[in-house]
Amino acid sequence: MGRTLFDKVWNDHVVRELPGRNALIFIDRIVLYELLGPPAIDQIEEQYDGALYDASRIIAVNDHVAPAKDTVTAELAQQLRTWAKKRNVRMYDVGQNGICHVLVPERGHVLPGSTLVCSDSHTCTIGAFGAFAFGIGSTALAGAMLASAVIVVRPKVMRITVRGRLQNDATAKDLALAVIAQLGFKGGTGYVLEYAGDGIAALSMEERMTLCNMAIEAGATTGMCPVDETTISYLRGREFSPAGEEFERAASDWRTLTADADATYDASLEIDAAKLVPTVTWGTNPGESVPLTGSIPRDADAASLAYMGLHAGTKMRDIGLDQAFIGSCTNARITDLRAAAAVLAGRRVSIPTIVTPGSQAVKRQAEAEGLHDIFQDAGALWTHSSCGACPGLSTGVLAPEMRCISSSNRNFPGRMGAGGRVHLASPIVVAASAVMGRIASPSELSSAVPA
Amino acid sequence: MILEGKLFPVDRANVDTDQIIPTRFLGAVDAAGLGAYCLGGLPGIETLYAAHPDATLVVARENFGAGSSREHAVWALQARGFRAVIAPSFARIFEENAYNNAFVLATIAPDDVDSVFAAPSARIDVAEQTLALPGGKSIHFTLDPLRKEFLLGGGFLAYMASQVESIRKWETTVH
Repeated sequence: MGRTLFDKVWNDHVVRELPGRNALIFIDRIVLYELLGPPAIDQIEEQYDGALYDASRIIAVNDHVAPAKDTVTAELAQQLRTWAKKRNVRMYDVGQNGICHVLVPERGHVLPGSTLVCSDSHTCTIGAFGAFAFGIGSTALAGAMLASAVIVVRPKVMRITVRGRLQNDATAKDLALAVIAQLGFKGGTGYVLEYAGDGIAALSMEERMTLCNMAIEAGATTGMCPVDETTISYLRGREFSPAGEEFERAASDWRTLTADADATYDASLEIDAAKLVPTVTWGTNPGESVPLTGSIPRDADAASLAYMGLHAGTKMRDIGLDQAFIGSCTNARITDLRAAAAVLAGRRVSIPTIVTPGSQAVKRQAEAEGLHDIFQDAGALWTHSSCGACPGLSTGVLAPEMRCISSSNRNFPGRMGAGGRVHLASPIVVAASAVMGRIASPSELSSAVPA
Repeated sequence: MILEGKLFPVDRANVDTDQIIPTRFLGAVDAAGLGAYCLGGLPGIETLYAAHPDATLVVARENFGAGSSREHAVWALQARGFRAVIAPSFARIFEENAYNNAFVLATIAPDDVDSVFAAPSARIDVAEQTLALPGGKSIHFTLDPLRKEFLLGGGFLAYMASQVESIRKWETTVH
């Protein structure tokens, strides 16, 4: 019987089947960061004398609030770096860091066909490389550092076939929002979303990462993309990728990491990428979205509307904004910044706008290309790399009832600050909206007067 | 393990982890201190606490615990004095975190949820996987067999530690 891409990676890592649908799965790479790593460190240090299965498999990143903003975050970061040094764990600290899901592939710390866990739900981003990568809690992370394994219920596999190419200002973010809208906020629970089709083959690695990043927002364990030459080209020459002959040998193995033609799935879904349009959320979970040119649905959830201070039937383009944010593990890679800069070039933002690159390497690349000048000439704030405003911890926290359009992944109540209201959209829609001071698409700007 | 108490009705679907414990409290207080902020991001929570001051069993709608991997969501519920959550479905990471902390989640059929919301209290028998309501209604709930062992006996991390040798052997011979 044919195997799915997920089956191939899973089968390669099963140490032992366990009761129920559980299995003990070997983990190749473990990533932790300053906010949710320390509780796992405490457990291992206090109960197991700091024992690690293999420190060389572990990567520590200071990313959520880096540099620290107060004593609490400073203590968390200090605990992470002190521990990393003591236990010989590679650490990416302030100045050479980045959001872990941006930094890990950028440095070549993920290989196709591998398993990776991190104490962050957006670890599914890494599935873009044909890896089985997923978020876990702190105690499971402690177990993973201790035993290089996790206990997982074997997920079902849903094939999502994407046909055609994105066009007319529709981006990978809009594709991600379309998947969540179709599945619903919990419709992917218990599944791995395995992407397939010419629409996926046409995407860059950055776009695939944006797509897989939001698998968790449909409740899915993770997303995965098949390996192709785009994957291999991205990894060639990365700092920690295999080099020379070794890389070519590995690459020929990686090319087998696609679903067999006769693979069977537990569920499947088809999406026509060519029909997608710029999409924006109106509610309090990422499944509550509509086309930017549309209106809030008549049957919209009353509690979501009450929190957002909106009414059913309101046109999305009539919604005024107080802040714009371009950043996060969803949309802060170099391609996202280039796209946003192309919208902002020669224009001025009309609301406070914050641009936070996904890693320090992305920041330097953007600056080499002059993107930082475009953002700052437009009146936006160009920051250092961190998770920034997305988790509502620093550099752009919202006040109650403040309304922000954001390229991030979560519009939960209070996500970017207590009482704050978040609309999720692509970086180019955020950029256009920043200019107009309301929800707007880039195509509307041609008639706007550049500053 | 028998859990008996008054019900705390959270009549919302998709209660996400940011609502259960807002990000700004992570690391700011120890696990015991999280109780003061439990469900702090849920609109209308003060009214709910005032109306149900001594409730210990949460009942909620579908997809409870969606979102982030923060185990603090479970710790906050425990620190607040809650002993279980009853809902038709839970998000994966939240569910794993609950089991790893021996915190009971009772997954019941969607058709049974309204009757739990209508009841003032409930009695959960984890070993039997039953949820009994006053008046005699008894509802079966599902529980993963392996996680049930961790729930009743604890020891998730001890189990992982006990596997290290066999995992090393697997790694060298198979992988």
